[in-house]
Amino acid sequence: MGDIPERFKHLDFMRMDRRTFLKAVGALGASVFLQNYRSEIVKALEFAENRIVWIQGGECTGCSESLLNGGEPDIVQAMQRLNLKITYHELLMEQQGVFVDGILVNTSELNSELYFEEVIEEGGYILVAEGAIANGPDGSGRYCVLGGKTYKEIFRKAAENAAFIVAVGQCAAFSGVNAADSDIRDLLDFRGVAFTLEDETKGILRELGIDKPVINIAGCPPHADWMLLTLAAVVLGKIKIPEDLPGVLDKWKRPKIFFPPDHTIHENCPRRGYYDRGEFDTTVSGEKCLWKLGCKAPYTHADCAIRRWNGYHSLCPQSGSPCISCVSAGFPDSSRPFFQEIEDVGIVGTNLDSIAKVAVGGALLAAGAHAIKRFSEKDAGKEGGEGKEDENGEEGNEKIGKETEESGENEGRNEKTETAPEGKKEG
Amino acid sequence: MVRVTIDQLTRIEGHYRIDTQVNEEGVITEARSSGLMPRGFERFLEKQDPRDAALLTQRICGVCPTSHSIAASNALDQLFGVEDSVPKDALVMRNIHQSLNMMTSHVTHIYVLWAPDLVNPAYRDLLGNYGAVGAAVWKEFLGRYSPISYRIDGVDIPPGEAYIRAIREKRRLHEAISLMGAKMPHSVMAHVGGVTYGATVADIGQLAAYYWKTMDFVEKYTLGGIPPETWLENTHLATSPQKAVSFVLNRLQELTDASLVSNDFSYTAGWGDVPLFAAFGSELLGEETLNLPVSLKFDRSGGYNDPGKIGFLSYGVYYKPELGDGYDPTSPADSRVIPSGFMNGNFEPERFDYTKIFESNTHTFYVDSDADREPFNGSTEPESDPAKIDFETAPEARYSWIKAPNYGGIPCEVGPLSRMLIMGEPLITGLVQLFREKGYPAPNNYLRMLARVQEVLVIGAQFLKWIYEDLDPNGRFAVPTDLSMAKDSRGMGLWEAPRGALGHWITTGPDSKVTLYQAVVASTWNLAPQNSEGIPGPAEQALLGTKISAAENALGVDYTNPLGILHTVRSYDPCLACAIHAMDRTGKHKEWKRVV
Repeated sequence: MGDIPERFKHLDFMRMDRRTFLKAVGALGASVFLQNYRSEIVKALEFAENRIVWIQGGECTGCSESLLNGGEPDIVQAMQRLNLKITYHELLMEQQGVFVDGILVNTSELNSELYFEEVIEEGGYILVAEGAIANGPDGSGRYCVLGGKTYKEIFRKAAENAAFIVAVGQCAAFSGVNAADSDIRDLLDFRGVAFTLEDETKGILRELGIDKPVINIAGCPPHADWMLLTLAAVVLGKIKIPEDLPGVLDKWKRPKIFFPPDHTIHENCPRRGYYDRGEFDTTVSGEKCLWKLGCKAPYTHADCAIRRWNGYHSLCPQSGSPCISCVSAGFPDSSRPFFQEIEDVGIVGTNLDSIAKVAVGGALLAAGAHAIKRFSEKDAGKEGGEGKEDENGEEGNEKIGKETEESGENEGRNEKTETAPEGKKEG
Repeated sequence: MVRVTIDQLTRIEGHYRIDTQVNEEGVITEARSSGLMPRGFERFLEKQDPRDAALLTQRICGVCPTSHSIAASNALDQLFGVEDSVPKDALVMRNIHQSLNMMTSHVTHIYVLWAPDLVNPAYRDLLGNYGAVGAAVWKEFLGRYSPISYRIDGVDIPPGEAYIRAIREKRRLHEAISLMGAKMPHSVMAHVGGVTYGATVADIGQLAAYYWKTMDFVEKYTLGGIPPETWLENTHLATSPQKAVSFVLNRLQELTDASLVSNDFSYTAGWGDVPLFAAFGSELLGEETLNLPVSLKFDRSGGYNDPGKIGFLSYGVYYKPELGDGYDPTSPADSRVIPSGFMNGNFEPERFDYTKIFESNTHTFYVDSDADREPFNGSTEPESDPAKIDFETAPEARYSWIKAPNYGGIPCEVGPLSRMLIMGEPLITGLVQLFREKGYPAPNNYLRMLARVQEVLVIGAQFLKWIYEDLDPNGRFAVPTDLSMAKDSRGMGLWEAPRGALGHWITTGPDSKVTLYQAVVASTWNLAPQNSEGIPGPAEQALLGTKISAAENALGVDYTNPLGILHTVRSYDPCLACAIHAMDRTGKHKEWKRVV
């Protein structure tokens, strides 16, 4: 290593961020560098895909709170062992946005605004968006102005230079509670990244004319595993972007591994036995099935009941509260009112996807209810594979396990049978 | 005059801006506190089933969702007319749930949101002037409190030991909550008429186990080797405020005597996070009393200049199990474990009267014809002209999406400090007296942090009593309710979130659907803009006279690193997700279009 200046001799490229790495390459000259650090370079270059820029719009910080609740992996493991580098996150950073007489001051080490500009300019990061994007009033975005810029503009810049976008939580993925029906919903005009509620034409990316791959981690909030394991899968090269995404994601751009199209929470509910025996609670604080209290688990596609929450031990219906389907694109309107039996309300507006209808239909058949069965009958035969899914409805647990182990094979099958073609052609 | 603006303040929930004018001496002469976005929560509850409010309003805030769900449940109890009959064990469950959330929130704030300001390079420079002691203390700061993403002079700093441990404790406490509330954030459980889940015999042991693991952390790291019981016995249960203060001072003196010789300020030498902060955070205790060579002087800033323009408020929190089933929704002082109450700027107590709560929109971006409104008559119409929403050039009169609540016309500080004062907590009361006697601001940024720590311990002891003594796993956990019971009704839910007073107000029409929903939230109180009389909000007042740079400008005035602003505002534990939630009923847009 004769040509290496002393100050570069003991560098550990695995511990370097990309900016410092590029500076070192520049200082040494590429050819000298290549001779001396060939094997390390391969690893070091991977950092370009590891950096996570996490931005927050119309949100409650619950998704970030949930991120910090990660168990296996926890946030520190994810960073130290799975190589995720949380480069920018307003909850977890030292810097503040500081202006003196209207001018950004100090350096990026103490000024978050300057740091943000640096990071964005460098590009190539994974953009994690938390929270909805305010588009109102009148498309101005001025219902959320941060550091003198609209969040809509901040999001645009961050999205343009991102490798791809992970929308975490209902607010970023679908606008969530921000888009709940109200007299001022249209005035505020909060948008999700690729969807607003179930409407793909109203995603902010389309409004901004940006075409980037998007992964939606649904949930209010999302489970820490859903976020960290998705990011880990990408960083570890287990999911290639964009080529793998059509097989890996469902039509709402949610990873099927966590939001399985052929499985609902209901299948593994700890109160399922009561349901099968037709024993229902009609007031809260009991121990029986919550169907008559409005439980949405029979048509909610998420692995909550298998994975369980916070230390892998809990689930909303386990605590006596009906599932409110907080992972569904139409949440909360598609789930309201929360505490009324679905049969009472009718399911108009819930936009059950095809598999879900079958699941609900099958479930109700077992309980001797009829209202929703109509839906499954009406749509029967419309899409291939439904009958098969229906018959196998009781084996959801096994299927999920299989899907985890043999994801490739199962994803192929799911793509063939479930995902409608229009979902693939966005952008 | 120099204009120094923080936009945004990071390490908070939501989006917040502080705009100040600073004179040549580096002293703040004007301050404006701005919430940066509206969200629309209360509006989308209108015309809906009121029972959804407990689950939906908690989505205002991912840090204190539990508080919102219980405040909403309190409002619903009254709305459905069952507040007199909510079973005692349901009330105990709500207490347990809330106490775990409050402990989690405080631990998160202290270690993850607040403490990283201690590793600001200005403190390296300051402490660097004080020899071996200064160097040792800086080493502790950097090794304990560095956040996840941090670098100084191009060198990446790994996350601090205490920071990482606190994240794990936060996770553990969330697991404890989810044992009853399924998941956290946005746990379930609180419900009109009671709770959806009653803890089992098995749950009680597990809850205790979670708690004691966290208390192991508190003992070893937070308190520096003092068991929480010993700490409480000598402070919270001390026979006088003076004795409580003496206990802390004696402990600090022992540690100081040893460490000024050894230059060892580590955990193993007994310097837990509280002793380290208590000694080096205060000029009065550290420099004047313990003869430390240096302090960060948090006790010199964050006070109020005019006692006539500020008050301290608590709505009261934690039902008293010994009162049996049911509770009084107006929260009289003797009905809650941490009592309701009001103290004026001279610390003279008054009984709490909920009819004195008002909100004003005169300095917000909401359009409103009335100066002040009671919550049951709230109004918020967001400005719809984009050109008029401008934080740079907006007319002085309008600069925030946070409304300005007041108690009989007085802006109030809410939160742990107010609660501990109104409760008469001996340590905090004693320290306030001490600082006042010595001519220091009281309260101040130092006391707000100590009150938060003390509250964790005080509530922790209550938590144990609730799970061991008060909770009957075979008790009743809800009274049945029917939607028709909410016909043409109204309800008020008074409670305390970790950050302070939290109230929800609800009314319904003949179809039992919501006609008005209104939440007046802790950070709305603390971070309020000027009220209809032009009186600045509490944080704005506390900033006036604050020196802008590290340790009272000890290294000179540095407008580009305004630690004085950060410490002052952050001492309130700002939660903008909560503060800007606000959107309530207006007379306009009456037409309801169902979009499905």
